[in-house]
Amino acid sequence: MTGKTYTRRSFLGATAVAFAEAGLSACTGAGTNSSGGGSTSSSGGGSNNLRVFTYEDNATIGTFKAQIAKFDQQNGTTTTVDSLPGSGAAVYPDKLRTELLGGSGPDVWRIWGGQIGAPYAKARQAADLAPYYTKYGWDSRINQNAIAGMTFNGVKSGVPFFLAGMGGWYNKALFAKAKVSVPKSYAELEQANDALVAAGVTPAGVGGKYGWDIMRLFEYLLEQSAGPELHDKLLTGAESWDRPEVVTAFTNFKKWQDKKWIPQGALGLDPADIEPAYVQGKTAYTITGQWTEVNAIQNAKKSASDFGTFQLPTDHTPVRHSGFVEGYMINARSGNKDKAAALIDFLVKPETQKALGITGSTVNGAEPDKSKLPLAYQWSQINKESPFYTVQDQAFPKQQTDAYFSVQSDILQGKTSPAEAAKRMQEIVSSWTQKQ
Amino acid sequence: MATTTASAGTTVSTRTRTRRGTQHGRVTPWLFALPALIVYVVFLVYPAFSSLFFSLTDWDGLSPDYHVVGLDNYRAMLKDPVVKQAAVNNLIWSVVTIVVPVVLGLVLAVLLNGKVRGKPVLRMVFYTPGVLPLVAVASIWGWLYNPQYGAVNALLRDIGLGSLAQPWLGQNSTALAAVMVPAIWLRTGFPMLLYLAALQGIPQDQYEAATMDGAGRFQQFWYITMPNLRGANYIVIALSLIDSFKVFDLIYATTYGGPGTATQVMGTWMYFNVFQYYQAGYGTAIAVVISLAAIAVGIPYVRSQTKEHQ
Repeated sequence: MTGKTYTRRSFLGATAVAFAEAGLSACTGAGTNSSGGGSTSSSGGGSNNLRVFTYEDNATIGTFKAQIAKFDQQNGTTTTVDSLPGSGAAVYPDKLRTELLGGSGPDVWRIWGGQIGAPYAKARQAADLAPYYTKYGWDSRINQNAIAGMTFNGVKSGVPFFLAGMGGWYNKALFAKAKVSVPKSYAELEQANDALVAAGVTPAGVGGKYGWDIMRLFEYLLEQSAGPELHDKLLTGAESWDRPEVVTAFTNFKKWQDKKWIPQGALGLDPADIEPAYVQGKTAYTITGQWTEVNAIQNAKKSASDFGTFQLPTDHTPVRHSGFVEGYMINARSGNKDKAAALIDFLVKPETQKALGITGSTVNGAEPDKSKLPLAYQWSQINKESPFYTVQDQAFPKQQTDAYFSVQSDILQGKTSPAEAAKRMQEIVSSWTQKQ
Repeated sequence: MATTTASAGTTVSTRTRTRRGTQHGRVTPWLFALPALIVYVVFLVYPAFSSLFFSLTDWDGLSPDYHVVGLDNYRAMLKDPVVKQAAVNNLIWSVVTIVVPVVLGLVLAVLLNGKVRGKPVLRMVFYTPGVLPLVAVASIWGWLYNPQYGAVNALLRDIGLGSLAQPWLGQNSTALAAVMVPAIWLRTGFPMLLYLAALQGIPQDQYEAATMDGAGRFQQFWYITMPNLRGANYIVIALSLIDSFKVFDLIYATTYGGPGTATQVMGTWMYFNVFQYYQAGYGTAIAVVISLAAIAVGIPYVRSQTKEHQ
């Protein structure tokens, strides 16, 4: 490394000038505009146009757009909504990154917290929202743990509105068929799995395509074998992964496949296909968050009373579950930050959150309606009582997460032993922590 | 003298006109080519050189700053086990998805060139997969390969070969081959159409003369059909070669490079590094290597074929 720092804009600028001299500036100008942003105005209070990028799916996009229209009506703005539903955190951040590098990008975007949102803050693509936290009093209205999930190096780069708590979501009819009840300990969960298999039912519907879905099973097994304190230290690299608790978790992970407690060929299954299988009666349960009540149960026109949800038993105190936050960021180059912040403030008002049917709102007074979303409401109560551990694909950067998914894959295919997998995980995590 | 002068004047005038004409003749083609050249330079040459430069940096793909790191990214590729795996996968992919669709396309073209009932329908059936969106194809084959409910395993079980039922996309040993099957399915129709068009251009009298001389069907195919298909071969193989180097979308949408990194190819690994791991410098170095490999393989073939045509 030469040590000399260049800026991408200076490189693009220099080359663009050369092109401009050749009469081609019109074709290359986009990359040199330093005041880009989603809207064209160059000041904080600029035009009345806003653009929001999100990943609402078909079940929720209509409601979201209706609320945006309400904001526009109240504020005289024109807000465009672009949505990319689909593969979760696997693809959406790529599209967002491309839009931002295209010289413009949205004014406001939805994003996950932790290591998925972190690169946008680190690269200063996301604005520092501290002034708006003060202006709108978000600190006193929003769950502090959730705010921490969107604060990077002390900079509040996002406003969290959703706090996911993930656990078991099950089909009551299939539990009844196998004569099993909600497990209270890990041993009971294993017994329930055996009973379900004996009754001809695949217990846990998880899929390995993209890695993040089947990861929810492994991280639960790690919480169960390592306990809360060690699990947290493992996620930050403060303790070595090359230890018996991790080996136990990997051994159990393989056991779940060998005993057919997860679908045959789970590694090749798309989460979008297998996760809702418990609603279709093809699997007994899945490991997911509150959104499944709207996206899978209500979308299939099924009654919530036919399904149940529970915290996966860890045999530790406190009982924790996997969790993550989602929120909104504002483009640091937006010419319309004030109105973008006003839009976010509108979106995190309790009445808007309720209208949007946010099943795990971080906003005080915006708990889901017990009569409309009884299972999500149950999780809002669990979230009040139980802490959560950071879902592993937000705990690690994407590169380390993918390397970890490779280890998961090799374990399930019998290509590596649990002891070797623990060693490999230590190498992956330590290479990341050394870079920090 | 006067004559001489006049003659000299005429000569000078002619030379001037000729020079002007020559100059005009040199400039005119460039003027015609200029619009296309501008597009070519702006959208291909400039981005290519820009990428080459970024491959020498540690740019993360998001931040405004970066450092020039020389050839570090290229050295890092030598130590990256996924690059080696992706290069091998690319090689396997190229060989299989060139040879199999070309041979199948030729066989289908020869069969459909004969007296076959429902020829237009069959042509459409074989060509249709090639016009389907690749993401839709990935979804279709993802369902077909579903280990529990997919048609592939169901068929195997129905015909008594249940022991061969596999989690096709869920294990390293079968995942790449399983993705190559839809690629072959997609890519057979195009060579078939080209070969069919070429077959229909072969004069019938060549076959009649060969028949008179006592040549059998295989001899006719080998000594008449194949030489006449040389032009079509050139187009089919060149396009297939380019297609196979570009492989990205089908793998990305079907397996996402997994399980683990088992189906990563250079294109997907480049994408993962640039867009997902925030290692744009390293990712563009991979892109440069892919381009150089494509050029190294493509140019000699195109040159040899061009010479042959001349």
